[in-house]
Amino acid sequence: MSQQEDDKQFFTDCIEQNMRSLYALALRLTCNSADAEDLVAETVTKAWSVIHSLQDRTRFRPWIFRILHNGFISDYRKKSIRPVETSYDELADDNNKEQVATLLIQQSEEFQQWWANPMDGFANNLLGEDLIAAIESLPESFRVTVLLINVEGLSYDETAEVLNISAGTVRSRMNRGRTLLQKALWQHAKDAGLITEEV
Amino acid sequence: MTNESDKPEANEIDCLEAFDHLYAYLNNEITNPIELSNIEHHLSHCKSCFSRAEMERKLNQRMKESGKSELPEAVQNRLRNVLSDL
Repeated sequence: MSQQEDDKQFFTDCIEQNMRSLYALALRLTCNSADAEDLVAETVTKAWSVIHSLQDRTRFRPWIFRILHNGFISDYRKKSIRPVETSYDELADDNNKEQVATLLIQQSEEFQQWWANPMDGFANNLLGEDLIAAIESLPESFRVTVLLINVEGLSYDETAEVLNISAGTVRSRMNRGRTLLQKALWQHAKDAGLITEEV
Repeated sequence: MTNESDKPEANEIDCLEAFDHLYAYLNNEITNPIELSNIEHHLSHCKSCFSRAEMERKLNQRMKESGKSELPEAVQNRLRNVLSDL
């Protein structure tokens, strides 16, 4: 088998194995199924054209997620930005570590009581789509970090490679992203009537 | 396998510091044995942080189960066409 045939076989197998993940990430980034489909198709074409840049085949997933994310930034991001993102400015400062940690603790106490309250049965009532809606409400930088780590199972190091940021920034975005996720779930549960009073 | 005696002695950390490390801990990202020992020690002595960690674990599990959407057949067919044209 020639090098090119070997590359093509490897690439095809990897795309088959990761189609669902690529589409899921594209969908959560673009929030639009038609754009997600286009973004994944363009990612596959682009990735094949730069297959020589994949030095270590074991890093295929971060490599192709990075191509997808870059494609999203250059061609789709403008369309997907929503005004709600401005409300998260309070947590956007990477240097604001202590304030975020305090918020994490205060908020989690409230969230935890609600989660654990057997009368509300939150964990049982929360549908997959509710969780997805909460994830989609996160600002893009936090959303993509949480998705890559908690849904796709990438390490902080691999996530840093995808997003072209340091592992330390990944860690702080994870803390902030999860704080905002709890906030969004809490709000969603109130709006959906899953909780009727403060706990 | 690590024996209990191989673990470095843990330092007392407060809830704020423990929570700052919590997600990294749950995502198996803490490689420094002292940091790992510190957070494990804190979680084994602080009921509130332990419960919080369990809650976060459950949320991680739910996210893993719910986060991947179904792949529409039309998308699969399109991607296979792209692959066959390479």
